[in-house]
Amino acid sequence: MSRQAESVLTPEIKALIGEKGEMVEGWGVVDEEYLRRFVQALPDWDPTYWDAEFARKTRFKARTVPPVMVTYMAGRRPLEEWSPVEGRPEVERGSLPRIPTKLDRHLHGGDAVEVFQYPKLGDSVCYQRRYADIQERVGGDGKPFLVIIAETTYWNQKNEVLCKVRSTYINR
Amino acid sequence: MALPLAELLKLDPDKMPAHSERPTPDEFRHKKQVYYEDVQIGQEIPKYIQRFNTVHLFNWCAAIENPHRIHYDHPYAINYDKLPGVLFHGTWRMAIIPSWLKDWTFPGGWFWKADWQVRAMVVANEITIVWGKVTNKYAKDGLGFVDLEIGIKNQDGIEGCPGNATVVLPLKGGKPIPYPFVPPN
Repeated sequence: MSRQAESVLTPEIKALIGEKGEMVEGWGVVDEEYLRRFVQALPDWDPTYWDAEFARKTRFKARTVPPVMVTYMAGRRPLEEWSPVEGRPEVERGSLPRIPTKLDRHLHGGDAVEVFQYPKLGDSVCYQRRYADIQERVGGDGKPFLVIIAETTYWNQKNEVLCKVRSTYINR
Repeated sequence: MALPLAELLKLDPDKMPAHSERPTPDEFRHKKQVYYEDVQIGQEIPKYIQRFNTVHLFNWCAAIENPHRIHYDHPYAINYDKLPGVLFHGTWRMAIIPSWLKDWTFPGGWFWKADWQVRAMVVANEITIVWGKVTNKYAKDGLGFVDLEIGIKNQDGIEGCPGNATVVLPLKGGKPIPYPFVPPN
C-alpha cells in the first residue's frame, strides 16, 4: 500500500518567504578596468562601452555598460575578505537564511532578469536578496522537492533600481 | 542572407561560426534601427555562434572573480566532479542573453526582460548558438513590445537554455523609448 510522501514545505520554511538578506554595498564603483575586462571576456563589442564620442551621440548621451554587468561587479570583495590561503573570498555577504531541510541535492534551475537602466561609470551599487517564493512540487518518483525563487535587486547610489534577477533553485 | 537555425544545424560544426551575425564594432556604429513594424511573428532574429574554448573560460573566471575549479581545472572537473570537461558558468548565460538582445534592439530599443531554464551544461570547446524567434508582438502606450522564444543550442542541436524574452522597439514615427525604462502597467 502506497503512502503519501510527507510534505517538505514545512511551516518553518514557508515563513522564510519574503525574508531578506542584509543590504550590501558593492566594493568600489563601476570602473573602467572592470568594464574593460568584462566586455573582453563576454565578449560584447558595442562601442558605446568604450568610445565616448560615439556614446555621446546615442540616446544614453554617455558611455554605458553591459545590461547585467552590475550583477557580477557587485560581488567583488575587499582584500580583507579574501583568503590568501584558499584564493577565494572567506566571507559570504548578503546571504539569505539557510533553508532548514534534509533535502541535500541543490540544483540551479534557471534565471530571470529584468533591466531598467545601466549604471554610469563612477556609480556605486547596492544589492539585496530575498526569498520571493518557495513552493513544493512532486517529482516523477513521487518524492516532494522544493523550488526556491531568490530575487536580487540592484540599486545605484540614488536608490534607483538598475535591474532584478530571480534565480530558481531546486532542493531535492 | 542569414542561415535559418534548422539549416545551420545541418552544417559541419567547424563551419557554423562563419554564420554568426554578431555585429562588429564598425557595424554597430552604422546599425539601422529595427522597428516594431519590421518584425514578423515567426521570424528568427540574428544568431550569435561561437566556439568558446578554455581561454574564454579563463577570461570569464578572472573577469567575474569566480575561482571555482570546475571552470578551469580539467583534471578536477572530470575526476572529482565527474563532469565531461570544464564548464561554463550557469550565470554566464545571464550575461550573454541580455547583451545579445540589447544588440538587436540597438540603438533606440530596449532589452527589458528574459527568463530561461538551465537544462544542459556548456562544456568548453562546444559550439554555442544563441538563437531567438519572435512569438508575439503588441503595441502599448506608443511602444512596440516583442516577445521571443530564446535559447542556446550546441552543435548537435541540444537545447541547454530554453526561455523567453521581451524587448521593446520603437514604432516608426513614434516616440522614443523612455530611459530609464518604465515597464507598462
